[in-house]
Amino acid sequence: MTDPYKVLGVSPSATDEQIKEAYRNLAKKYHPDQYAESPLKELADEKMKEINEAYDTITAQRKAGNRGYAGGYNPVGGNSGSGFNDVRSLIMSGRIADAEQILNGVPPERRNAEWYFLKGSVLYRRGWLEEAKDHFSRACQMDPGNGEYSAALNQAMSRGSGMYGGYNPNSTMTGGCNTCDLCSTLMCADCCCECMGGDLIPCC
Amino acid sequence: MFGYVRPYQSELLVKEYDQYKAIYCQLCRILGKEYGWLARFSLSYDCTFYAMLALSVSKAGMTECRRCCGANPLKKCRYLEAEGGAYEKAAALSVLLTYHKLLDDKEDESFFKSLGCRLLLPLVSRKAKRAAKKYPFLAELAETATREQAEAEQRKTGIDECAEPTAKLLSALFGELAGENAGQKAALTQFGYFLGRWVYLMDASDDLTEDAKAGKFNPFLLRLGLSDRRELTGEEQKHAEEFCNNALNFTLSMLLPPLNLIDMEHFGPIIENVAEKGLPEIQREILFLHVRQKSRFHPGRAGK
Repeated sequence: MTDPYKVLGVSPSATDEQIKEAYRNLAKKYHPDQYAESPLKELADEKMKEINEAYDTITAQRKAGNRGYAGGYNPVGGNSGSGFNDVRSLIMSGRIADAEQILNGVPPERRNAEWYFLKGSVLYRRGWLEEAKDHFSRACQMDPGNGEYSAALNQAMSRGSGMYGGYNPNSTMTGGCNTCDLCSTLMCADCCCECMGGDLIPCC
Repeated sequence: MFGYVRPYQSELLVKEYDQYKAIYCQLCRILGKEYGWLARFSLSYDCTFYAMLALSVSKAGMTECRRCCGANPLKKCRYLEAEGGAYEKAAALSVLLTYHKLLDDKEDESFFKSLGCRLLLPLVSRKAKRAAKKYPFLAELAETATREQAEAEQRKTGIDECAEPTAKLLSALFGELAGENAGQKAALTQFGYFLGRWVYLMDASDDLTEDAKAGKFNPFLLRLGLSDRRELTGEEQKHAEEFCNNALNFTLSMLLPPLNLIDMEHFGPIIENVAEKGLPEIQREILFLHVRQKSRFHPGRAGK
């Protein structure tokens, strides 16, 4: 097995805290949730397993407890009331082209909310994000009460907001504390101190 | 390509910036050496990024040295030399993409507007032939991407379909860098796909107003039902820009996970800077500050 310290990118002399932090950073990078809909899922799982093992080995060596990672969700799961079980299982096993072929063969009058949702999932996996979003929202319009469809649409919408990378015009990129804020805060603090009989900034 | 793929300089460490610049300068030097002085003008951030990524995933040895600048003999620059042909490949790509861009412009513009292209083309086409002979797969990829792009825009299709040729181009280019390593190849292919998609969407966003004025096809205008408008109202403009920004963010959110899975020997922090900060910064500059691409900062002149 490879050196567990090397896997986490820390030196063997690192403190427990540093190791925990390195592990956390890597776990965030490889967390299965990010790859739930991606063809890279297996690769990410492998990396996740590697760092889990490395972390476990180190903590065992250092006589700390074990920890593991479970989780990850797959939005296109089994659905008992589904009219497209074959398509769902094809999508789950990663056979996107086959799933799409079946979906495209469905005549327009039989295309229900689920059809739009599944077609959206296929497009999403291909990287055709805008059309995927359109299909999800069509599915939600046709069946507003369905949690599965609205979860997919919400996920697609929130990814456009800049929460997962990109630029969000409604939040400042720097910390939000500029020189002006700093000065006015200091002045306020000084006033407060003076009220109480003390003084923070002697010259004013 | 378009020069959108570059780091956000104020968030780079000084040593990282020096490394980046040394790659940029070396690529410029190789362009000059392999394809003549004129080819140096095809140097772009995008091809620099390609060279950097190629070096980053290879195990090639690198040495840094100082030499006079090709463009300004009085200036000394750092150059990061490397074995393994990463620069040569990036230089060939740069020449080939420029060649196809010129060809494309010649078709699109009127005779007098494209006079510059027409004069340059014979010179560039010789160099492009040389590049194609050395790297046939690059030539084929560039040719296919340009052709499919033109077809998609002619058919006036949706956003995703228009972005596909550029996405596939970068996907194939980056995937090739992995060699035999299957896991690395999968990650690089995905990363390339979404980076290519982002580049195309950014370019389309950047051209939005101009295309509206000129009545040219633009997938965003078509999607928003603004194809027939010559002049956009402030409200429409703002809505369109927000729509573009959302589409770009969506794409970036898909690009970051595969990037995490790429094993990088060098320049990891610079490449992460590009994806996490450089690209969003371009979105901000173009869509919210309305700084046109041409007037933006250029690292070749950073020393002054």
